[in-house]
Amino acid sequence: MMKEGKAIQEITIEPVTRIEGHLGVHVKVDTNTRKITDAYAYSPMFRGFEIILVGREPSEAVMITQRVCGVCPVPHALASVIAVDQVYGASPPPMGIVLRNLVHGAEQLYDAEVGVINLEGPDYSEVAIKKFNPDWWKEAQKTKASGSDVHGFGTIAEIMTALNPLAGELYLRSLLVQKAGHNMAAIFGAKHPHVQTFVPGGVAKANLSPSDIESYLTLLMRHVAFTKELVTATDDLLDFVLEQGYEDVGAREANLGSAGAYDDPEAYSAEYGEMTDWGRKRMLSPGVILDGKLVTTDLVEFNVGVREHIGSSWYSSEWKQEIETDPLGNKIALEHPWNKRTIPKPGELGKFDSAYSWCTSPRWRHWKGDGEDHNIELGPLARMWVTTKAKLVPESTGKSLKFELPAAVIPGFKYAEKMEFEWKIPEKPNTVERIRARAYYHAYSASCVLKMVMKSLELLKAGKVAVWTPYKKPREGIGFGATEAMRGACLHWCVMKKGVIHNYQFHAPTTWNASPRDPEGNPGPYEEALLQTPITEAGKPEEWKGVDVVRVIRSFDPCVGCAVAVHMGKRIVKHELLPFAVPL
Amino acid sequence: MFSIYTGIYAMALEEINLIWLEGLDCAGCTISIKQASNPTLIDIVTGAIPGLGGLKLVFNPTLMFEWGEDASKVLVDAMEGKYDPFVLILEGAIPDEARAKPGVYCAIGEYNHKLLLLDEVVDGLSKKCAAAVAIGTCASYGGIPSGKPNPTGARGLLDYLGKKWKGGLGLPVICVPGCPPRPDNIVQVLGHAVLAARGLAPLPELDEHHRPTYLYGDTAHENCSICGFFSGGVAGHGFGERGCLGLVGCKGLITHCNASATWMDGYGGCTETGSPCIGCADPNFPDPPTSPFFGDAPPIAYLKDFSRGLRTQVKLAIAAAKRRKI
Repeated sequence: MMKEGKAIQEITIEPVTRIEGHLGVHVKVDTNTRKITDAYAYSPMFRGFEIILVGREPSEAVMITQRVCGVCPVPHALASVIAVDQVYGASPPPMGIVLRNLVHGAEQLYDAEVGVINLEGPDYSEVAIKKFNPDWWKEAQKTKASGSDVHGFGTIAEIMTALNPLAGELYLRSLLVQKAGHNMAAIFGAKHPHVQTFVPGGVAKANLSPSDIESYLTLLMRHVAFTKELVTATDDLLDFVLEQGYEDVGAREANLGSAGAYDDPEAYSAEYGEMTDWGRKRMLSPGVILDGKLVTTDLVEFNVGVREHIGSSWYSSEWKQEIETDPLGNKIALEHPWNKRTIPKPGELGKFDSAYSWCTSPRWRHWKGDGEDHNIELGPLARMWVTTKAKLVPESTGKSLKFELPAAVIPGFKYAEKMEFEWKIPEKPNTVERIRARAYYHAYSASCVLKMVMKSLELLKAGKVAVWTPYKKPREGIGFGATEAMRGACLHWCVMKKGVIHNYQFHAPTTWNASPRDPEGNPGPYEEALLQTPITEAGKPEEWKGVDVVRVIRSFDPCVGCAVAVHMGKRIVKHELLPFAVPL
Repeated sequence: MFSIYTGIYAMALEEINLIWLEGLDCAGCTISIKQASNPTLIDIVTGAIPGLGGLKLVFNPTLMFEWGEDASKVLVDAMEGKYDPFVLILEGAIPDEARAKPGVYCAIGEYNHKLLLLDEVVDGLSKKCAAAVAIGTCASYGGIPSGKPNPTGARGLLDYLGKKWKGGLGLPVICVPGCPPRPDNIVQVLGHAVLAARGLAPLPELDEHHRPTYLYGDTAHENCSICGFFSGGVAGHGFGERGCLGLVGCKGLITHCNASATWMDGYGGCTETGSPCIGCADPNFPDPPTSPFFGDAPPIAYLKDFSRGLRTQVKLAIAAAKRRKI
């Protein structure tokens, strides 16, 4: 509601439902300049996983932590098993790493489709555009789609229609292809969600045979065929959205981070000291970009720089410094997750000047550089950007990622030829580029997984079929595991004493992206992206539903749909669209 | 109390509303049901199957079009009986909000500037619902959030409402455990409940933990595709080895579950793939005896199964001595 004489309007979107919990967003909009002037993101749901883990065997953490999220369980299982590999000193054989990659890749493929088509897509569907941006709709009907020979849609409006929830062609076909992703994960993971086979030292897969790999490859080719349509249609749609003046929506500086993913089967080891080397051999590179510049590609430096602040969160900070240095002798801070403890201290909702979230505020300290804490964004845009800048993979040209996918003649898919892809570093991170990067990440993942399938056949042929290395459990150990989930990095830290977990901390991607203010008052990535975002929504301010706010949040890919009650001052308006996240 | 066999109530069931709540959950059960094949969720929602038509999903935080005040209003109205008859479906555990003061552990909506907490909504809806189904181990028995030391005081629906609670159809809480349950288990239990409510199928028989016996009557061990290794005495001593997984911690002997041989569409399956059962469908999960996951199952379970096997072998030997009739 607009107050008399004031042009500031407060909007609360709450809860923005997500998988790791429920999420709320509170923003203030200046209705004269049509810009967001203040924003707070918060999470009002708590389960206490890190407390439940204490006293258990570290290998149990692999099974338990993935159950934090039913949408992206595998990256948690993977980050956890990497940490526990280090704790136990158990390096898997190459085939073990290949199988972990195949399960991980299967999940990334299904999850990218959910994000682009079923989650973010409907915000740009015919139903949404006609309602919120009616001017765009007229324009879209006139605008030819340049990739129609691949995806078959003549105009941008046709793509928008195909994104209509539970009715559009792309929306429904995406659901069918996703099922292939779950099945692929089940071949080597036993089930999905919550895979059963990730164990320290490798993978619990018995009787591995070429027929397992054939089954996997058959299903993979459906994703390969679909990604050609997915990327081309997304490109056409997003170019159109950008032309409608969307470049500043959700924009922030290029402060980005990636843990990297898809390990090199020959290079990976359980040695913390070798992590710098094997991290750089990942098919997706690890690294941090500050102000557009790549400052590191070293996973050890990344780990040591992590700080977890809790000033704006409902926890107590009464923990002690127990770990002084990492295994290489680098100093570990009090706020580093190897020291940090989870001590809940519930507080009231809506106190934005003090604690207001169950989410903490992780920041990355550039300890080898300026010594400052930086608010870095995680996700497909960040990892594609870092991989391009790092120039550690053959696909990177320094300014783009270039790769090719083979021909795939499959009934029901529109483009059978082989296809070249090139993802270029955009001008700045914003709502549109986050979604575009997610689509290209789908295609890039498909190409990484294809290579990994070939690797598995090569190993089979060479008789290197061992999937697991026996280990002897030590009494003490420490580990750090990191990999990429769809919507950002999963980071896990484990400290073992007397054979059981002494302290276990983990960050979901959203812990970083949805983080509240840090002790210096700096906003988290969601909050920062919302600040200064222009409102394009048609109609009078008092009738706004907050579609631009939701589009910004969705571009980060919260697991399920947001959009909820939109409060206009004291008046709550009904919110009709936006929702639907995890599809049927 | 209505009986499903009274035609009057069955007629009133032409349209059945489904209200699906998410508590302390991970949405893994929702992701699971999305993969179901027999039938698919779309088959159910669109009424493509005779006898299963007329279902309306009026509340599901991940699927519904409305949210906020509109969505919360569904819950408020349902608590006043305006959505009768409806089936209450819960995914995720229920925390003890008294421990969260002055904060909250799980709010699921807001109405008239007042937060709707999960436990209050469950209280209200359980007084009106025709039946209540707990999907997944969290909703059934507490699951992961209730793992020791249970930081939020989380409980499953069975414990929360009590074993004596009964819905409008006269059925107690129905549990569909598993973390998550097999996709087909979820759709089949929901479908069966509806057929039973309409008098088209028998009431589901439930065991002591309120699980439908036609899905959970046998243990993962009994359903195991490689349990021949157990009876044949071939044991795996590490991961990736061919053989019974008992020595690497399999809890299939004590866990009632049908996911050991296959997950979906013939792919996967826990022991079939080579991973020991961790007991994720067991009421005690993730605490002992399912934990430590890679520790031994209780010896008594082995002894029982071994002696059963021995008895069977003797019976078979005696039977083999007799002349065949065919």
